[in-house]
Amino acid sequence: MNSGELNTSQVMRQVIYALGLGVGASFYFFGWGVLIQIVLGIVTALVSESVFLSFRGLPVKPTIADGSAILTAILLAISIPTMAPWWIIVVGVTFAIIFGKQIYGGLGNNPFNPAMLGYAFLLISYPLQMTTWGSDYVNIEQSINAIFNISSVDILTGATKLDEVKMQISLGTHIENLDIYSLSQSWINAGFLVGGLYLLIRKIIYWQIPTAFILGIFATAGLLFLIDDNIYLPPQLHLMLGASMLGAFFIATDPVSSSTTPKGRLIYGFLIGMLVVIIRVFGGYPDGVAFAVLLINIAVPLIDSYTKPKVFGK
Amino acid sequence: MYSDLYKGGVFISNPYPIDDVGIKKTTLPNKVILPLNERMTEKATPCVKVGDLVLTGQVIASNDDFNSVPIHATVSGQVTAIDDHLIPHKSGFKTQCITIQSDGKDEWVKDENSTKDYWKYPQSLLIEKIHYAGIVGMGGAGFPTHIKLGLSQNCSTIIVNGTECEPGIMCDDALMQNYPSQVIKGVEILLHICGAERAIIAIENDKPDAYNSLLINNNNDRISIAHVPTKYTSGSEKLLTKTILDKEIPSGDFAIDVGIVCLNVATVKAIFDIIIEGKPLVSRIVTVTGSGVSKPYNYEARLGSSFEDIVSLSSPNKLKHDVRMGGMMMGIDVPSTDVPISKTCNCIFINNRVAKDTARECIRCGSCNQACPVGLLPQQLYWYSKSEKTDKAVEYSLFDCIECACCSYVCPSNIPLVEYFSFAKALHRNTSEEKRKANIARERFEYREFRLERNKTERAQMMEAKKKAIKEKMAKEKSQKDKITKAMERVNTNKKNKINE
Ligand code: SF4
Ligand code: SF4
Repeated sequence: MNSGELNTSQVMRQVIYALGLGVGASFYFFGWGVLIQIVLGIVTALVSESVFLSFRGLPVKPTIADGSAILTAILLAISIPTMAPWWIIVVGVTFAIIFGKQIYGGLGNNPFNPAMLGYAFLLISYPLQMTTWGSDYVNIEQSINAIFNISSVDILTGATKLDEVKMQISLGTHIENLDIYSLSQSWINAGFLVGGLYLLIRKIIYWQIPTAFILGIFATAGLLFLIDDNIYLPPQLHLMLGASMLGAFFIATDPVSSSTTPKGRLIYGFLIGMLVVIIRVFGGYPDGVAFAVLLINIAVPLIDSYTKPKVFGK
Repeated sequence: MYSDLYKGGVFISNPYPIDDVGIKKTTLPNKVILPLNERMTEKATPCVKVGDLVLTGQVIASNDDFNSVPIHATVSGQVTAIDDHLIPHKSGFKTQCITIQSDGKDEWVKDENSTKDYWKYPQSLLIEKIHYAGIVGMGGAGFPTHIKLGLSQNCSTIIVNGTECEPGIMCDDALMQNYPSQVIKGVEILLHICGAERAIIAIENDKPDAYNSLLINNNNDRISIAHVPTKYTSGSEKLLTKTILDKEIPSGDFAIDVGIVCLNVATVKAIFDIIIEGKPLVSRIVTVTGSGVSKPYNYEARLGSSFEDIVSLSSPNKLKHDVRMGGMMMGIDVPSTDVPISKTCNCIFINNRVAKDTARECIRCGSCNQACPVGLLPQQLYWYSKSEKTDKAVEYSLFDCIECACCSYVCPSNIPLVEYFSFAKALHRNTSEEKRKANIARERFEYREFRLERNKTERAQMMEAKKKAIKEKMAKEKSQKDKITKAMERVNTNKKNKINE
């Protein structure tokens, strides 16, 4: 039977297209790094998935064709620093595909979001490489040099904007004086927001998770800001920094590892949003999306079983 | 116009629409094949032999089971065989059928006791006549109508289902357009039989012609005609009740349990035929459609004529076909067109054979639970059905699934969800049955063990007691022996002493 609606691989493709704007913004501000990482990621994903499948004697083609490995690779590639050395993305994607997905029996059976599992693994194993962000536009030649370690490049300065903010606050700078409306971050987030809205309109993702995710961030950050606006960032800033929009529309909405009931999606999204802020503010890591998603992934079976919709006549 | 009162369902328009929805009367078939147990219930016993001459409408097989209906000859002619034949059923089994060769005259049995003035007759008599006429739910379920009516005394509302059960089927639309006065009259008979206050005929809003023709013919203010949204699964008894009366029939119950009788329009027409015309159910209207025919249409065909008889009238193409009885959603695949038309055969889909898209893994996208009109979580049901954890699936209300296939229809991974569910239902019924049997067996076994154990201990105790007794006896004997020997010794020593002295 076919309803004429999108099939699984078409859905994946739409999601990939929707990432375009955000990726474009990242390209505009930081240069070629993001594209190189994406290419590296996709190649790694295809190779590692094919190798794993042929080891297990399973047909390779249909699995590759579902596009999920490519999506995982892209999500991870845009989450890591644009100038990270090439092996970071290779290791990360391989880990994500094999330990995040295939080991559970492939797409549909994985309890965790594969891309975020890869990210968490990288962050814990290679904290230095994973937190060193470039802060300027880098052209293609320099990008290749930096990523493939051909010659040492001195563009690798600075931490993430979130880190910067944190550091300045700890140094006693008053919020008002921070140059926090970091243009690049806002534009990248705006790009993902627009892409996400496109997915919503096409009914490829459900409204519940992104809405609740954003609400979770806003409520938690807002509460903290109300408590002390000297130390804590205003909530709207939390939304436009880090991986907030990417997380809300593209990462937390991964259908496989998220809650599947309408009410459950609301709870799921809200909890992640909340955790994102908590990890950002009180945790030692630059951004909280990956850990927040993974932690709430664990709670999904519980959320699902408590949010069964009402059955007709019951 | 009623609004959409339940969540889910899918909007599908007729994939093969035609301009004028009419009915073609087919010529008499040369022969008809009539199965003895269409519904896989108790098999009817033939009351004719090979070689007998029969009239149209004559009972040729029946049984005493109140739950089944008699089988009638659908043409006049001669019984030529009583043997096994393939019938359109999920199981793909052959079953015993009576074959009648038509004499081309179509001579009918006489209606001995006319009930034209039906209001003069008691309800029970009319219901009995409906039973005799072999009328069953013609919308697809095939539930015997006399049983439904028998339970319907003093119900409040009659709902006449004129919504086509599935996209593509046009037979009810055609029937309402061609026999509007008969349908209205049939409803009046029903009002009399059930003692209901009112009857509502529900028609989808994309069938204005059927709606209008009924409207023109209706002069009875207890009968109203309602437009309902054209949404798939609106035709299901429970969802139709919800749409029209905003009443939710509790899970596990039927419409009849809340005082509502729900009957298909074709069934109502059949009731008219027997009560007013005295004709038992011998024909029905069947839609022939699908990608494999160039002229989809409706045919009034005698029951027992072969699919092929009417499919050939719709100009099938020369390609290979998949044949399906019933709709694209809930129908069943049948191996060929060489099977007889049954009372529940509302539609024959002839589709060009195409390579089936393979199913992929479930990505838990949730499209299915959005589409489910009953509010289930098909993705969870799928998970538990696949792993055969049917207990879990039942916890997720597996048995509330009406097998409407909305979920399968929208699934982007192309998973035949509904097939898993009907399998899981069967499996669960089997395993619970087996469990029950196993429990009995285990109890028996345990009792036997207990008995054996008890016997063993009893025996052991007995042995013990015996042993003890023997020992005691032996001990006693020994002490006696000892006494004797001692006495002997004493005697001997005395003797010796005496000698020595
Ligand atoms: S529609 Fe198909 S893929 Fe989506 S959740 Fe349901 S079963 Fe899974
Ligand atoms: S087949 Fe069952 S689970 Fe699927 S949509 Fe229909 S009622 Fe829901």
